[in-house]
Amino acid sequence: MTTLIVLVLGLGVGVLVGLLGIGGGVVLVPAMVYLLQMDQHLAQGTSLFILLPPVGLGALRQYWKQGQVDLRAGILCALGILIGGYLGGLFAVLMTSRQLKGFFGCFLMLAAALLWRKPPVQGESAGSLGEEQANV
Amino acid sequence: MTGIFLTACVCGVASGLFGIGGGVLLVPLLVLLFAFGQHRAQGTSLIALIPPTGLLAFLAYAKAGYVSWKTGLLLIPGVFAGGILGGWLAKKLNPKRMRQVFAGLMFALGLWQAVAAWRR
Repeated sequence: MTTLIVLVLGLGVGVLVGLLGIGGGVVLVPAMVYLLQMDQHLAQGTSLFILLPPVGLGALRQYWKQGQVDLRAGILCALGILIGGYLGGLFAVLMTSRQLKGFFGCFLMLAAALLWRKPPVQGESAGSLGEEQANV
Repeated sequence: MTGIFLTACVCGVASGLFGIGGGVLLVPLLVLLFAFGQHRAQGTSLIALIPPTGLLAFLAYAKAGYVSWKTGLLLIPGVFAGGILGGWLAKKLNPKRMRQVFAGLMFALGLWQAVAAWRR
Protein backbone atom coordinates (compact mmCIF):
# COMPACT_ATOMS: atom_id res chain seq x y z
CA MET A 1 0.00 0.00 0.00
CA THR A 2 2.75 2.39 0.95
CA THR A 3 4.54 1.44 -2.25
CA LEU A 4 1.48 2.47 -4.26
CA ILE A 5 1.25 5.81 -2.45
CA VAL A 6 4.91 6.46 -3.15
CA LEU A 7 4.54 5.66 -6.86
CA VAL A 8 1.49 7.89 -7.28
CA LEU A 9 3.17 10.64 -5.27
CA GLY A 10 6.13 10.52 -7.63
CA LEU A 11 3.87 10.91 -10.64
CA GLY A 12 2.02 13.85 -9.11
CA VAL A 13 5.23 15.62 -8.22
CA GLY A 14 6.55 14.97 -11.71
CA VAL A 15 3.61 16.81 -13.27
CA LEU A 16 4.51 19.85 -11.17
CA VAL A 17 8.14 19.51 -12.23
CA GLY A 18 7.20 19.86 -15.87
CA LEU A 19 4.48 22.41 -15.30
CA LEU A 20 6.54 24.79 -13.22
CA GLY A 21 10.12 24.05 -14.22
CA ILE A 22 11.20 23.19 -10.70
CA GLY A 23 12.99 20.23 -9.19
CA GLY A 24 10.02 19.01 -7.21
CA GLY A 25 11.78 18.79 -3.86
CA VAL A 26 9.70 21.61 -2.48
CA VAL A 27 6.59 19.42 -2.77
CA LEU A 28 8.31 16.11 -2.10
CA VAL A 29 9.70 17.10 1.27
CA PRO A 30 6.39 18.05 2.96
CA ALA A 31 4.67 15.12 1.22
CA MET A 32 7.18 12.68 2.69
CA VAL A 33 6.96 14.29 6.11
CA TYR A 34 3.17 14.11 6.25
CA LEU A 35 2.14 11.20 4.02
CA LEU A 36 5.00 8.88 4.89
CA GLN A 37 5.67 10.23 8.39
CA MET A 38 9.32 10.76 7.72
CA ASP A 39 11.64 12.83 9.86
CA GLN A 40 12.45 16.26 8.39
CA HIS A 41 16.13 15.50 7.82
CA LEU A 42 15.37 12.12 6.29
CA ALA A 43 12.81 13.63 3.91
CA GLN A 44 15.27 16.31 2.79
CA GLY A 45 18.12 13.85 2.25
CA THR A 46 15.83 11.54 0.29
CA SER A 47 14.61 14.45 -1.80
CA LEU A 48 18.19 15.36 -2.70
CA PHE A 49 18.79 11.72 -3.61
CA ILE A 50 15.83 11.75 -6.03
CA LEU A 51 17.16 14.88 -7.69
CA LEU A 52 20.55 13.33 -8.49
CA PRO A 53 19.46 11.67 -11.76
CA PRO A 54 18.08 14.08 -14.38
CA VAL A 55 14.40 13.57 -13.52
CA GLY A 56 13.46 16.76 -15.37
CA LEU A 57 14.92 15.64 -18.67
CA GLY A 58 11.60 14.67 -20.23
CA ALA A 59 10.08 17.96 -19.19
CA LEU A 60 13.10 19.88 -20.46
CA ARG A 61 12.63 18.41 -23.94
CA GLN A 62 9.22 20.06 -24.16
CA TYR A 63 10.71 23.46 -23.35
CA TRP A 64 13.70 22.90 -25.59
CA LYS A 65 11.47 22.24 -28.61
CA GLN A 66 9.87 25.64 -28.06
CA GLY A 67 13.23 27.38 -27.75
CA GLN A 68 12.47 28.37 -24.18
CA VAL A 69 15.87 27.55 -22.70
CA ASP A 70 18.79 29.86 -21.99
CA LEU A 71 21.67 27.42 -22.03
CA ARG A 72 24.39 29.79 -20.82
CA ALA A 73 22.35 31.05 -17.87
CA GLY A 74 21.36 27.45 -17.12
CA ILE A 75 24.96 26.29 -16.85
CA LEU A 76 25.85 29.23 -14.59
CA CYS A 77 22.89 28.45 -12.36
CA ALA A 78 23.86 24.80 -12.13
CA LEU A 79 27.31 25.82 -10.95
CA GLY A 80 25.94 28.27 -8.40
CA ILE A 81 23.48 25.75 -7.01
CA LEU A 82 26.21 23.12 -6.68
CA ILE A 83 28.41 25.44 -4.61
CA GLY A 84 25.63 26.96 -2.54
CA GLY A 85 24.15 23.52 -1.97
CA TYR A 86 27.32 22.40 -0.23
CA LEU A 87 27.04 25.22 2.32
CA GLY A 88 23.34 24.70 2.87
CA GLY A 89 23.81 20.98 3.41
CA LEU A 90 26.43 21.62 6.08
CA PHE A 91 24.10 23.98 7.97
CA ALA A 92 21.09 21.67 7.74
CA VAL A 93 22.85 18.70 9.29
CA LEU A 94 23.77 20.83 12.31
CA MET A 95 20.16 21.88 13.06
CA THR A 96 17.60 19.90 15.00
CA SER A 97 14.73 18.42 13.00
CA ARG A 98 12.28 20.76 14.66
CA GLN A 99 14.26 23.90 13.82
CA LEU A 100 14.68 22.70 10.28
CA LYS A 101 10.96 22.02 9.94
CA GLY A 102 10.14 25.53 11.08
CA PHE A 103 12.65 27.09 8.72
CA PHE A 104 11.35 24.98 5.87
CA GLY A 105 7.82 26.20 6.53
CA CYS A 106 8.92 29.84 6.48
CA PHE A 107 10.89 29.23 3.32
CA LEU A 108 7.84 27.73 1.60
CA MET A 109 5.78 30.80 2.45
CA LEU A 110 8.48 33.12 1.11
CA ALA A 111 8.86 31.11 -2.08
CA ALA A 112 5.07 31.12 -2.50
CA ALA A 113 5.00 34.91 -2.20
CA LEU A 114 7.76 35.25 -4.82
CA LEU A 115 5.97 32.89 -7.16
CA TRP A 116 2.69 34.73 -6.76
CA ARG A 117 4.08 38.14 -7.64
CA LYS A 118 3.35 39.39 -11.09
CA PRO A 119 6.38 39.58 -13.36
CA PRO A 120 7.18 43.20 -14.31
CA VAL A 121 6.60 43.21 -18.08
CA GLN A 122 5.04 41.42 -20.98
CA GLY A 123 2.24 39.08 -21.85
CA GLU A 124 2.87 35.62 -20.57
CA SER A 125 0.01 33.86 -22.25
CA ALA A 126 0.80 30.54 -23.83
CA GLY A 127 0.42 32.21 -27.19
CA SER A 128 3.54 34.33 -26.77
CA LEU A 129 5.72 31.26 -26.51
CA GLY A 130 7.51 31.78 -29.78
CA GLU A 131 8.56 35.34 -29.09
CA GLU A 132 12.12 36.02 -28.20
CA GLN A 133 12.78 37.61 -24.85
CA ALA A 134 15.37 40.25 -24.27
CA ASN A 135 17.63 38.93 -21.60
CA VAL A 136 21.08 39.39 -20.24
CA MET B 1 25.72 37.11 -16.00
CA THR B 2 27.62 37.48 -12.69
CA GLY B 3 24.30 38.46 -11.15
CA ILE B 4 22.73 35.26 -12.39
CA PHE B 5 25.58 33.23 -10.92
CA LEU B 6 25.30 34.91 -7.51
CA THR B 7 21.54 34.46 -7.52
CA ALA B 8 22.06 30.78 -8.27
CA CYS B 9 24.46 30.52 -5.31
CA VAL B 10 21.70 31.81 -3.04
CA CYS B 11 19.30 29.28 -4.53
CA GLY B 12 21.95 26.65 -3.89
CA VAL B 13 22.10 27.45 -0.19
CA ALA B 14 18.33 27.00 -0.04
CA SER B 15 18.73 23.78 -2.00
CA GLY B 16 21.15 22.28 0.49
CA LEU B 17 19.39 23.66 3.52
CA PHE B 18 15.95 22.39 2.56
CA GLY B 19 16.73 19.38 0.42
CA ILE B 20 15.12 20.78 -2.70
CA GLY B 21 16.23 21.40 -6.26
CA GLY B 22 16.28 25.16 -5.93
CA GLY B 23 14.16 25.74 -9.01
CA VAL B 24 11.28 27.00 -6.93
CA LEU B 25 13.42 30.00 -6.01
CA LEU B 26 15.35 30.23 -9.27
CA VAL B 27 12.28 30.52 -11.51
CA PRO B 28 10.70 33.56 -9.81
CA LEU B 29 14.08 35.24 -9.37
CA LEU B 30 14.96 34.87 -13.04
CA VAL B 31 11.61 36.42 -13.90
CA LEU B 32 11.71 39.23 -11.34
CA LEU B 33 15.39 40.19 -11.42
CA PHE B 34 16.48 39.33 -14.93
CA ALA B 35 13.29 39.89 -16.94
CA PHE B 36 13.03 36.34 -18.22
CA GLY B 37 9.68 35.28 -19.66
CA GLN B 38 7.88 32.75 -17.47
CA HIS B 39 8.33 29.81 -19.84
CA ARG B 40 11.95 30.72 -20.55
CA ALA B 41 12.72 30.92 -16.83
CA GLN B 42 11.16 27.48 -16.32
CA GLY B 43 13.06 25.92 -19.22
CA THR B 44 16.31 27.43 -17.98
CA SER B 45 15.66 26.21 -14.46
CA LEU B 46 15.07 22.69 -15.78
CA ILE B 47 18.36 22.66 -17.64
CA ALA B 48 20.17 23.91 -14.55
CA LEU B 49 18.75 20.89 -12.69
CA ILE B 50 19.94 18.28 -15.22
CA PRO B 51 23.45 17.88 -13.76
CA PRO B 52 23.42 16.52 -10.21
CA THR B 53 23.61 19.99 -8.67
CA GLY B 54 22.55 18.71 -5.26
CA LEU B 55 25.41 16.21 -5.10
CA LEU B 56 27.53 18.01 -2.50
CA ALA B 57 24.51 18.70 -0.31
CA PHE B 58 23.35 15.12 -0.76
CA LEU B 59 26.69 13.78 0.46
CA ALA B 60 26.37 15.82 3.64
CA TYR B 61 22.96 14.23 4.33
CA ALA B 62 24.08 10.73 3.34
CA LYS B 63 27.06 10.90 5.68
CA ALA B 64 24.69 11.73 8.54
CA GLY B 65 22.40 8.83 7.56
CA TYR B 66 19.52 11.00 6.40
CA VAL B 67 18.55 9.16 3.19
CA SER B 68 15.74 6.65 2.64
CA TRP B 69 17.06 4.79 -0.38
CA LYS B 70 14.00 2.64 -1.02
CA THR B 71 11.52 5.51 -1.04
CA GLY B 72 13.85 7.49 -3.25
CA LEU B 73 14.20 4.76 -5.83
CA LEU B 74 10.44 4.26 -5.93
CA LEU B 75 9.81 7.97 -6.50
CA ILE B 76 12.25 8.53 -9.36
CA PRO B 77 10.30 6.84 -12.22
CA GLY B 78 7.10 8.64 -11.28
CA VAL B 79 8.73 12.04 -11.14
CA PHE B 80 10.34 11.45 -14.52
CA ALA B 81 7.12 10.32 -16.23
CA GLY B 82 5.08 13.03 -14.59
CA GLY B 83 7.61 15.59 -15.75
CA ILE B 84 6.92 14.78 -19.39
CA LEU B 85 3.20 15.14 -18.83
CA GLY B 86 3.65 18.42 -16.97
CA GLY B 87 5.95 19.87 -19.62
CA TRP B 88 3.31 19.10 -22.22
CA LEU B 89 0.57 20.59 -20.07
CA ALA B 90 2.59 23.77 -19.50
CA LYS B 91 2.20 24.59 -23.18
CA LYS B 92 -1.59 24.30 -22.97
CA LEU B 93 -2.31 26.12 -19.73
CA ASN B 94 -2.38 29.76 -18.76
CA PRO B 95 0.91 30.08 -16.87
CA LYS B 96 -0.26 32.83 -14.57
CA ARG B 97 -3.17 30.84 -13.26
CA MET B 98 -1.13 27.69 -12.75
CA ARG B 99 1.55 29.61 -10.88
CA GLN B 100 -0.96 31.18 -8.54
CA VAL B 101 -2.70 27.92 -7.76
CA PHE B 102 0.66 26.40 -6.96
CA ALA B 103 1.79 29.39 -4.90
CA GLY B 104 -1.40 29.18 -2.84
CA LEU B 105 -0.82 25.50 -2.20
CA MET B 106 2.78 26.11 -1.20
CA PHE B 107 1.89 28.91 1.16
CA ALA B 108 -0.64 26.70 2.93
CA LEU B 109 1.89 23.87 3.23
CA GLY B 110 4.52 26.25 4.57
CA LEU B 111 2.19 27.73 7.14
CA TRP B 112 1.18 24.25 8.27
CA GLN B 113 4.81 23.20 8.71
CA ALA B 114 5.84 26.35 10.52
CA VAL B 115 2.92 26.11 12.94
CA ALA B 116 3.50 22.39 13.53
CA ALA B 117 7.15 23.01 14.36
CA TRP B 118 6.25 25.90 16.63
CA ARG B 119 3.68 24.06 18.70
CA ARG B 120 5.46 20.84 19.43
